[in-house]
Amino acid sequence: MTTATDGHAISLQNVTKIYRRKIHALRGINMQVKRGEIFGLLGPNGAGKSTLVKIMMSVVRPTRAEGLILNRPIGHKPTLRQIGYLPENHRFPKYLTGRQVIEFFAALCGVDRSTRRKRAGELLELVGMTNWGNAKISQYSKGMLQRIGLAQAMGADPELIVLDEPTDGVDPAGRRDIRKALLELRARGKTIFINSHLLSELESVCDRVAILVQGAVARQGTIDELTVAKQCFLFEVSPVENLPGLVNAALGGVLNLQVPPPFRGKLADATWCELDGVFLRLGRTDPAAVQDVLDALRRQGLVIRRMHLVRPSLEELFFEAVANTALGAGAA
Amino acid sequence: MRQTWALLIDAYRDLNSRKLFWIVLILSTVVAASFFAVGIDDRGASIFGHVFFPDYNTHFVKRSEFYKEVFVGYGIDTWLSLVAIALALISTASIFPEFLAGGAVDLYLSKPISRIRLFLTKYFCGLLFVAMQIFCFCLTCFLVIGIRGGEWLPGVFLAVPIVLLFYSYLFAICVFWGVWTRSTIAALLLTILCWFVIFGVHFAEVAMLRMQYSDEVRSKQLEERITRESAILKQVDKQLAEQPDPVATQPTTRAAMAFWKTLFPGPDNENVDPRVRLRERTYDQLTADQEERLQYTGTIVFWHKAFYLVMTALPKTSETVDLLTRVLIKNTGMEGSDATRQSDDMSDDNRVQLEDQAQQMFIKELNSRSVSWVAGTSVGFEVVVMMIAAWMFCRRDY
Repeated sequence: MTTATDGHAISLQNVTKIYRRKIHALRGINMQVKRGEIFGLLGPNGAGKSTLVKIMMSVVRPTRAEGLILNRPIGHKPTLRQIGYLPENHRFPKYLTGRQVIEFFAALCGVDRSTRRKRAGELLELVGMTNWGNAKISQYSKGMLQRIGLAQAMGADPELIVLDEPTDGVDPAGRRDIRKALLELRARGKTIFINSHLLSELESVCDRVAILVQGAVARQGTIDELTVAKQCFLFEVSPVENLPGLVNAALGGVLNLQVPPPFRGKLADATWCELDGVFLRLGRTDPAAVQDVLDALRRQGLVIRRMHLVRPSLEELFFEAVANTALGAGAA
Repeated sequence: MRQTWALLIDAYRDLNSRKLFWIVLILSTVVAASFFAVGIDDRGASIFGHVFFPDYNTHFVKRSEFYKEVFVGYGIDTWLSLVAIALALISTASIFPEFLAGGAVDLYLSKPISRIRLFLTKYFCGLLFVAMQIFCFCLTCFLVIGIRGGEWLPGVFLAVPIVLLFYSYLFAICVFWGVWTRSTIAALLLTILCWFVIFGVHFAEVAMLRMQYSDEVRSKQLEERITRESAILKQVDKQLAEQPDPVATQPTTRAAMAFWKTLFPGPDNENVDPRVRLRERTYDQLTADQEERLQYTGTIVFWHKAFYLVMTALPKTSETVDLLTRVLIKNTGMEGSDATRQSDDMSDDNRVQLEDQAQQMFIKELNSRSVSWVAGTSVGFEVVVMMIAAWMFCRRDY
């Protein structure tokens, strides 16, 4: 059974993969990737990220899979013409030059010769490899291989580009170039699906992410959506002497000071608050909603040295998702 | 078609990048070209003008025949069907394991091209390697026979499809192991092992067939002797019935009979002519031998049938190459020296005659094996092996 995927480049339902009837690599993945967005897939080693990508690319056969990729069922061979793919630890034929790699894999997608030639030049320029295009692959560094790999994935001018660890082994300058290229591709309307363990890389380019843990999607959404529950305002206050008492008085005595720090409590409107050293965190995201707390702190003679909205990093979110799943599994 | 063409060009680039490909190609051409150095005239056969075999000269064999024999004997039987094939296997064994390596196969499988098409294209690319090698070799041989032998024989190019067919059996096995193990070394070693097994079965079947014919000839001879002995016995019985006992009447004959009795003692009360007894004993011995031989023949026939059945299911490597010799002899008049040798070797010695007779029957039987049996069943084996390999390739997760 498939569902309509208007506006979705990828819509997966119940994607399951069981190896040798006992190893559950994927446990019913449900995932949607909108057209024209950069989607990041995160997960610890062994979470099933590469298996999922390979299922999408027909490299691995799913035990069960419903859903569509570019409005066609998963595994529909002609649709692969519209999908560019850069596998993890790819091994391009060493006897080819960078330009030949791009042209060869474009030819396998059915692109005609003149278009291949023209596009190879453009793509080499896009990934900054024009000067190395006619050199043999065997002479390339890891970073150069990744750039050629990225160009190869775009050789047939696909609608969807699936990249498995695209910045693996690439130096910071190279990563910046790849990020720039990805953003440019998104601007051209391409959908990009990235599987990476470099969270900061994803955070800077992805519109939406999914966190895969133990073969299941633990979190999915925009980074804002995923972090909203953990967003808060942070205040740095002074003086240090009797700080917990003063803060507690300002907050109406909601903090539990009987336990070791950080001291936690809830305000009358159920907003959580936490005092850790000189830092007070308040579970509100609207600046207007923290003014009353600011006034109360000042009334207690406290000086607000700094205050800003804090959004947890993708890394924190990732570790929390992994920890929660592990705890859940442990509890189960 | 664009995709297949791209794969073929890629295969060419791959071959072009392999040093071993060029080494084998150059070696093949050099070996074929070395026939230029071999010559024959009325002084004898020579290498680089130096006469080594004075008896083997143009009075004994025609110049063109000499070069044909060199081509068949050394070019096909030794170089193409053994050395070149082994080198080709070494060169191509890595095609599938390298193709199936992680990170490489993903790139191909993620393209809009079916797995079976990918698999078959890669397989035919491997065959292309050997086709080029054989073609270069045959072209050089064609020139050598033409220039040195004075006869232009396009029939030598038949070696290209036939040796390629022979190689395709082994390459199919190599592909099967390559897909299964994904290891070049394992695929190569297991293919060589299979080659040995095939050769072993072929050798056993041929040996059994030879023994069967040899036994058949001996059985016939034994049967003739038994018939002869039986006829003699009947004649002696008839004579004894018609004539009085010479023993009783002639003293000299009686003394001789006493001597015969010491040699062939019988029951005391038996009054049988010892010559008859001798004949009877010979007859009994021969019939006992025949019985024993029948049992022996039964065993040989059983094992020959068993090996023949096994061989029918296996690819027939040697027979496929022999097809070339058969076809060349038939179509191009390249009669070898075998027939001459057979007639020359005829000796008055009975044993040698029998062996010769058995040998001729054996050769006749081998030559009577049809092309459809030799090539058809071998291709059948190849198709089955390739289907299993293709199934593994198509069903596997990478």
